[in-house]
Amino acid sequence: MSTIQDFSGYTPTWCPGCGDYGIGIAIKSALVQLNYDPSQVAAVFGIGCSGNMNDFLNAYAIHSLHGRAIPNAIGIKLANHKLPVIVVAGDGDCYGEGGNHFLHACRGNHDITVIIHDNCVYGLTTGQVAPTAQKGFKSKSTPAGIIEVPINPTALALTAGATFVAQAFAGDTPQVISMIKEGIKHEGFSLINVLQPCVTFNKINTYQYYREHIHKLGDGYRADNLQAALTEALGINQEKFPVGILYQTKRSTYTGELPQVAEKPLIGKQRFTDFEKLVPDFI
Amino acid sequence: MTDFSIVIGGEAGMGIMTTGAIFSRIASQSGYHVFDYVEYPSLIRGGHNAYEARIAEEEVGTLCPTVDLLVCLNEDTYVRHKSKLHPDSVVIYDNEEFTISDDCQRIAVPFKKILQELKGQAVMKNTIAIGAALAATGTDLSRLNTILEKQFAKKGEEIINFNKKFAEMGFNHVETNYPLLVKNLLAGKPAETKLVISGNEAFSLGSIIADCRLYAAYPMTPASTVLTTMAAWQEKTGIIVRHSEDEIAAINTVIGASFAGARSSTGTSGGGFALMVESVSLAGVTEMPVVIFIASRPGPATGMPTWTEQGDLLFAVHAGHGEFPKIVLAPGDVYEMLELTAKAYNLADIYQLPVIILSDMYLSESHRTLTKSFLDSLITGYKIERGKTEESSKFKDQSSKYLRYKITDDGISPRLIPGAPGIYYQANSYEHLEDGHTTEEAKPRIDQVHKRSRKIDTYFKNHFQSPAVFGDLGKSDTVFVGWGSTKWPILEAQKQLKNQGKETAFVHFTHVYPLSKELVQPFFPAGKRYVLVENNSQGQFGKLLRAETGISVNENILRYDGRMVTPEEIVSRVNGLTSSRV
Repeated sequence: MSTIQDFSGYTPTWCPGCGDYGIGIAIKSALVQLNYDPSQVAAVFGIGCSGNMNDFLNAYAIHSLHGRAIPNAIGIKLANHKLPVIVVAGDGDCYGEGGNHFLHACRGNHDITVIIHDNCVYGLTTGQVAPTAQKGFKSKSTPAGIIEVPINPTALALTAGATFVAQAFAGDTPQVISMIKEGIKHEGFSLINVLQPCVTFNKINTYQYYREHIHKLGDGYRADNLQAALTEALGINQEKFPVGILYQTKRSTYTGELPQVAEKPLIGKQRFTDFEKLVPDFI
Repeated sequence: MTDFSIVIGGEAGMGIMTTGAIFSRIASQSGYHVFDYVEYPSLIRGGHNAYEARIAEEEVGTLCPTVDLLVCLNEDTYVRHKSKLHPDSVVIYDNEEFTISDDCQRIAVPFKKILQELKGQAVMKNTIAIGAALAATGTDLSRLNTILEKQFAKKGEEIINFNKKFAEMGFNHVETNYPLLVKNLLAGKPAETKLVISGNEAFSLGSIIADCRLYAAYPMTPASTVLTTMAAWQEKTGIIVRHSEDEIAAINTVIGASFAGARSSTGTSGGGFALMVESVSLAGVTEMPVVIFIASRPGPATGMPTWTEQGDLLFAVHAGHGEFPKIVLAPGDVYEMLELTAKAYNLADIYQLPVIILSDMYLSESHRTLTKSFLDSLITGYKIERGKTEESSKFKDQSSKYLRYKITDDGISPRLIPGAPGIYYQANSYEHLEDGHTTEEAKPRIDQVHKRSRKIDTYFKNHFQSPAVFGDLGKSDTVFVGWGSTKWPILEAQKQLKNQGKETAFVHFTHVYPLSKELVQPFFPAGKRYVLVENNSQGQFGKLLRAETGISVNENILRYDGRMVTPEEIVSRVNGLTSSRV
């Protein structure tokens, strides 16, 4: 049995009170509760405050480029689909710089778990607006208020074909743990968008703000209905943030569709040496 | 002795490339060497397509300035190529479609009438034409019929025979009506088995030989046929091919797979590579083995998609922000492509860095004959070298910690494939300590910079390959300097100059970056006339050579109109007949 301590690397350097602490402890707890040890997990980190978790979490990991964690994770999964692969990135990283990868990872149903720290700002570059910020949000890069309307992460994932879409609030660690566990267990692409207050640069979307604007998806909510999930997802236009599993469905994963790796992971296969099979194409 | 040139031209979208490929295969099967190249516009329909080939008893790697057999599927073909005709050239055409007034030999074949009579589709004009061309070159239909049988095997006997009929009509028409114009060019001669293979196909085959297990790419001319070739081989070889959402995803998929232990590569042209560049730097600092194939076309930006240029050399060499080692290899033909591709995967693993294979449209999409015996000996002699790796058992007792970026004398830190129980580490895009954790301290930073750059010293010691010399460096006054795909135009120019009594030498680089002064200087003895031949406007290799070794080449032959430099222009420039282009 592994412990939280086994997964703990360096002491985090996040600001006191940062929502990332809650997510950090939730990821470790989820991995412990799922009976993994650090050598049984691959994690890919984006660049930003969230990505700095690379130094604080023990696992086989890549601290990637800004925006590119998802395709790295897909590559790991293609090479060794037996390894659980998680992505830890921020909203600017995943929905801004890496938005294209996010969309196509949903479509491909790559069996990776994407955990997004959604704080509506760029913390590490000292507080510019992020694509999830509400219209009019004033920041150093948008002194007159952002003109664009926000990205809707869960609606985007739902319409792009993600098979597991959840939202969590960093101020409710047990709920984040539960969502991460469900996401990792899910076979296919899973998104956990974590609403994460940035205590330093976001004075609007605070702990207090989220406590007033989130609602838990209750027992009566059925996560197998795409229309209902979309309705919930679109609630953020009225500042109503659903928390819980919005949608979960079964669809074969990307590697599940590849006969090449039906028996063994790509890295575990015998080398192909029957080159004579290819020669007739050229003679 | 057989040495002739053929052009088959028609409207784009009418199957000219397929027809040409069949002709090349028949010529190869008949015992001859082939070089073919298709010039085509970046269009799917309309516009002009022309397959052009040189078929000879000796090895060939360039086209001819003249056309001996011109097969016109439309008038445009004739108009565009008539300047290359000579009085003995044979032109196959439909005299109901247009007339010919120039001085040449004519074979009129009623394409249109045959199509109408047999109720064939427009694309079958090709089949009539190839039948006619085979008759005109003095061979029979047996090889073509075998190819048609294979091509239409799934469609049944009736379709096979229907197609054969068109070839037969073209063939018989020529044999019956023009017996005096038939030349015994493809009569056949005993020869060893050869493959007809393009540069892109050679890269693909080399990758499979090297046990590449994942290829991720986004389509871009002229690299796309690597993607499609590899994709078609998935079932046979078990390779995974991911057509990703963009080139950034492609290279990052490869980096992830490489991290997880699978040999992987990506391929693109200059524009797609531009998108990958940040990730080249990621591979550099995280020390991930990555093979990147670039098939250049003339830029900047969208440029001339279906034409050729060696315009991305300095870009490839300098690609990536920050300082980190990489290796750039530039094969000069399909033989070198196969060999260097297989080598590239070993180098990437041994040195844990990005290795770029630099090709261009001319090499990537031209076909050449390659002897089967060469392929066989490459396969037999190839050894997969994964470089320094660690076994996880060594670290089980926790007394020694695995250090992913351990400081070593040769700059190479042993890799450990993720999944090994009881251990973990991070590959870090930030500057890092030996164990992979982020650092901003001065000393570990300097140590890692030095460690990474020591890999290049090790490469010079163990794997750098000096340029090949063609001709006698000692006896020649004039020495050509080239790299990559200009190899055969220069070799052909040397041959022509020799026929004129001029002995020349040629220093041909394939290991174009990094370069070592110590290793390269011996190839540049003093007191000679050095002539740099490149397919770009700035003499990029000349600049690189000067920057890396201090060696200056003062005379240039440069071409940058999208066409490969020809042997004839090299000869005339060396002879001082025309003034410098630059």
